[in-house]
Amino acid sequence: MDIKLFHKKDGGVIQLIDKEKMKNWPVELPLIFIEYIREKKLDRYEDNTIKKDIESYLDEIMKEIAIPRLIGVLDSENDEEIILSLTRILDVAKKNIEMVKPIQKYLVDLQKSKNNKVVELSKNISEMFVKAERRKELARKRKIMRQKEKEFLDGKITAQDYAKIRKEYLLLKE
Amino acid sequence: MAKKKVDKSYDLKAAKELYYKYLERGKEIKDFEQPVDTIKIEDLSRNKILNRIYKLTDTIIKQIYNTGRPSIELPSRSSLNIIWDEENDLLLLGKQIMEKQFHSLTSVADITRLMRVLEVVTELLNEDLHATKREVFYTDVNLFSEQKNSDKSIEDVSTMLYTSRNSTHIVAAPRGSCVGRLRIRDRTDIIDLEAQGSGGWTISPFLDQIEIIESDAELILVIEKNAAMMRLAEDRFWRKYPCILLTAQGVGNVATRMFLKRLNKELNLPTFTLVDSDPYGHYIHSVYLRGSKRLSYESPFLATPNIKLLGVLTRDLDKYQIPKAARIRMNKQDEKRTKDLLKEDFVKKNKAWETDLQLAIKLREKAEIQAFATHGFKFLTDEYLPEKLTTGDWI
Repeated sequence: MDIKLFHKKDGGVIQLIDKEKMKNWPVELPLIFIEYIREKKLDRYEDNTIKKDIESYLDEIMKEIAIPRLIGVLDSENDEEIILSLTRILDVAKKNIEMVKPIQKYLVDLQKSKNNKVVELSKNISEMFVKAERRKELARKRKIMRQKEKEFLDGKITAQDYAKIRKEYLLLKE
Repeated sequence: MAKKKVDKSYDLKAAKELYYKYLERGKEIKDFEQPVDTIKIEDLSRNKILNRIYKLTDTIIKQIYNTGRPSIELPSRSSLNIIWDEENDLLLLGKQIMEKQFHSLTSVADITRLMRVLEVVTELLNEDLHATKREVFYTDVNLFSEQKNSDKSIEDVSTMLYTSRNSTHIVAAPRGSCVGRLRIRDRTDIIDLEAQGSGGWTISPFLDQIEIIESDAELILVIEKNAAMMRLAEDRFWRKYPCILLTAQGVGNVATRMFLKRLNKELNLPTFTLVDSDPYGHYIHSVYLRGSKRLSYESPFLATPNIKLLGVLTRDLDKYQIPKAARIRMNKQDEKRTKDLLKEDFVKKNKAWETDLQLAIKLREKAEIQAFATHGFKFLTDEYLPEKLTTGDWI
């Protein structure tokens, strides 16, 4: 099969290349494709059901094609290809860090590489993961903070308890 | 002077019905089956074609040693050896073989050119390079004298090796362009054909590097004239009516026809031509439909047998009230061409087409696509095309 069909409610069809064909693509290209469809096309499809179906197809491509291929390169000893892949991963990570999460564990070993560029790129991507984690934690705390503020105003918790939570939140924020 | 615009809305019902029919049917278009009385041409990898060249040269060397009178055999490309295969609706090359002798005065120039092209092809394949037909001509201007001679030898080499011209790494210079609801991959680049400006994307002759990656089009429209293509592109026709537009600025060159065939086959979309209402326009349609006689050996790779002739039909001239001033009287050459088309088996089998050509002979009139501008510049995009696609008025 060359093409995968997604039927729209209005009778139209979105045709996307079959994921099997991507197995022969340059290693970074499946990621670029996923990013391209998500960023440039998905909103234009309008139909929510089709958007969901295409999202899950893109996830499949990510899981079955893009990541295994990247890992294959990162696991290899070809520094030139590793640098090319890491550069591409860095670009994608800047836009959506979640997309490249599966390669996170490989970054630890790559930081021990003898090639300075490989080390530098792996460090940069790792730092982005740390920052992303921090942002996620902050969002979680912010949500709790709002809840506690409400509880405090309602007199359900003491000023001391509230101050303690507030302090934790502010420390994380800094 | 533009006429007052009539506010009509079109739903492209007939074209959509065809689209749904294709969707329901799926891609069950059976694989091409080579008729027994025709020769089989294959798309070959670099190594395979080099092997064929080496085998051929070995045979010639043996002949030189054994008899001193070498010759080569290749399928004849004369009109007598071109067969219309009714089942596949294609023009194909029959099994008639001709012999070219090295020692004959009548064929010595011909065979020298042929061997020179074979040498060029070997060089291109060995170095994995591509060259245009014009470049091949310039490799030995004295020998070829005119480009038509090198072009003929290029076609002879392809048939002699039983392969497509693209496989020999000789490509046509880019001429066609494409715009609309299509995204392709060219090596590591993703190209959005909606964002290529009014000129569109130039159809690359290196089609082996091109891959269709996304489309939400519902039909394909092939346009004879670049001017008409520009009109549609300027109007962003594909935004209102999801489609892909192509032009080769005249008769479809190899790259355009090959790209169209891929679009039609891979996306399984209804495909239409919009050509001038004259015998040349009808001929252009026929080349997209079932291939040209000159390249009949490549028809299975180039023809789009389910393409429909949307317009401009002869009957459209009255139906859409093209003023007499915008119609041109057919000359003798036009009449001859129309009569020649009427003699073709594939026209005789298509009654609607035959009737339209007979009407052209009767009226002795022709008109360009641009003649619709007499009703206003937007008539083509706002009225003519949507109405035809809504009513199913095609051949």
